[in-house]
Amino acid sequence: MYDAPHMTESHVTAAADVKIAARNVQVYYGDNHAIKDVNVDIQDKTVTAFIGPSGCGKSTFLRCLNRMNDTIDVARIEGDIRIDGQDIYDKAVDPVQLRAKVGMVFQKPNPFPKSIYDNVAYGPRIHGLARNKAELDEIVERSLRRGAIWDEVKDRLNAPGTGLSGGQQQRLCIARAVATEPEILLMDEPCSALDPIATGQIEELIDELRRNYALVIVTHSMQQAARVSQKTAYFHLGNLVEYGDTTKIFTNPEDTRTENYITGRIG
Amino acid sequence: MTDAPNFGPGTDAVPNRPKTSLIAEDARTKGRNAAEKRFRFYGMAAIAVGLFFLVVLAVSIVRSGIPAFTQTVVNVEFTMTEADIETAEGMLFKTKMYAQFLNTALTDQMNAKGLEVDVDEKAIQRILGKTGGIIREFYKGNPDQMGEPVAFELSASSRVDGYFKGRVTREGFVDSRFLKLSDLDLVDSLAQAGVIQQAFNWNFITGADTGVDNPGGAGIGASLVGSFFMMLVVLVLSLPIGVAASIYLEEFAPKNRFTDIIEVNISNLAAVPSIVFGILGLAVFIQFVHLPQSAPLVGGLVLTLMTLPTIIISTRASLKAVPPSIRDAALGVGASKMQAVFHHVLPLAAPGILTGTIIGLAQALGETAPLLLIGMVGFVARGYPQGFIEGFTDPNSAMPAQIYTWAARADVGFYEKAWGGIIVLLLFLLTMNIIAIILRRRFERRW
Repeated sequence: MYDAPHMTESHVTAAADVKIAARNVQVYYGDNHAIKDVNVDIQDKTVTAFIGPSGCGKSTFLRCLNRMNDTIDVARIEGDIRIDGQDIYDKAVDPVQLRAKVGMVFQKPNPFPKSIYDNVAYGPRIHGLARNKAELDEIVERSLRRGAIWDEVKDRLNAPGTGLSGGQQQRLCIARAVATEPEILLMDEPCSALDPIATGQIEELIDELRRNYALVIVTHSMQQAARVSQKTAYFHLGNLVEYGDTTKIFTNPEDTRTENYITGRIG
Repeated sequence: MTDAPNFGPGTDAVPNRPKTSLIAEDARTKGRNAAEKRFRFYGMAAIAVGLFFLVVLAVSIVRSGIPAFTQTVVNVEFTMTEADIETAEGMLFKTKMYAQFLNTALTDQMNAKGLEVDVDEKAIQRILGKTGGIIREFYKGNPDQMGEPVAFELSASSRVDGYFKGRVTREGFVDSRFLKLSDLDLVDSLAQAGVIQQAFNWNFITGADTGVDNPGGAGIGASLVGSFFMMLVVLVLSLPIGVAASIYLEEFAPKNRFTDIIEVNISNLAAVPSIVFGILGLAVFIQFVHLPQSAPLVGGLVLTLMTLPTIIISTRASLKAVPPSIRDAALGVGASKMQAVFHHVLPLAAPGILTGTIIGLAQALGETAPLLLIGMVGFVARGYPQGFIEGFTDPNSAMPAQIYTWAARADVGFYEKAWGGIIVLLLFLLTMNIIAIILRRRFERRW
């Protein structure tokens, strides 16, 4: 089906539970070739970690998965990314619909400058997921519970979301992302702005979310990748160097570059 | 550290580091502190100079402008019966007869207070102007007042007004057909009797401009309405167009050479002298589109062209200032670009947009030059205040143009009108700013 000459065994798994299939993905920022020929199969109900030194393209690749790179004028994407077999860069695909299906949590917590309730309710509102106020209330509560923040904010849903602590804000953003009932959650270094306690809470949450979503998380912390993920992809200078089970990557990497990175000799 | 220099790893301290005290200032620190002190002093001096001139300006405006809000009036109470009016109407010079009735009443009023004066018909005319016409108009409009005592409040001529305000003095007084020195004696005794008084000049606030020889009757009201209509046109046109253009350019338009050229041109337009816009308005709106001359609609259109660049530049700046993470957040939950902009970016940029708008409107409000070219200057309202409501296309003036007209007139009575007009203009501006501040507060309070 795909013409993928560079595909290697470790990057591709059995097709049954594959959620995202990327083939020969190239990304250019102007003249800069940022992502080179990436092939990867991301599985459903799994946490996949993207690791690699700064500027290796892991965030860029992540942003390809819900077409957030469309907003950057100079970015150009080639190749083929399929979610459940559908090409997301097909002309018929509306990125807005895609992003409702592929939620995203950003590096810096970025709640809207609105109330906690409105932060979560915004997505369901614009997608028309609730027929009335009661349903919307239910969605908001369910999402905040999934974001593991309901108990902390249930008494002040009308307080501004920006008034929460950093960790709470990030969990609010996760709640906001799951409120639109996505199938995939992309997280771009979700804990880099948080303290260890908040990080622990988010990691627990990620483990919980794995039951319902395919999660892709970009992280700079190898310990975090080892803790939360089942699959790990190592990016280096725009190449996907190695992809496989997290335990294998961290204990017995095949590529010397991966080994150097996880043992702390580069990056 | 020890005396022996040690260059081993971990000890890259400078050898023989000089001993310095933390208490004594060294020369460099002294110099730095002195420089900072000097800079603070310059700053404070600049602010002090600015404040000084502001106070001088405010005091001189208020001192010169306040007299415009009062006027010298003569209060005469008298009764005209139906028979009196019939007599007057039967005369060849009808108004002259009315004036005679007034003079008689005035004399009686003075005599009743025990003041013996010689009320000369000519002198009264110099002091009060042609009163007969005013009285005749009154009874024509209110025939039911015949036979009833009516208190007339007649405004004194500008010379007499100036005599009370210190503009006209007895020293160096030269008799003219407008006022004679002997009239001032009459004025003095009238003032003594309480017949001549200072009253609040409502006419200045509600009235329209008068001819060059009647500064007493001139009012800024008509041009206030003109300015108001123009501001309405400017606001209604420039805010939506400006904001829409900025949003498109900032959020949607591709960044290429064409949009770069547009951007440069908008910046340049903001610096174009306003009189150029006046010429444009004359050529396009009046000569080409054939809109009426001197109309607030045309003035508003011209000022809209002038205000648009200011609004676009400030709106774009405030859109740029909204952090991109907000756009990402909105797009990330599946909002379309337009939803992201209108639901999240625009509300955050609203206070900045309002500030830009109010700066643009304030500029437009004070603009005179383009109005000269489209004939919104030197205009005397006819039949005011009837019919000023349909003022968008009716000829009118604007406050700054009116002030300019008054300042250019020969009669010194217009001098205080010009200053008074400036006070009204500034109050108008202040009101506009206060409304904008209240709106901005409301926008900011939403999150």
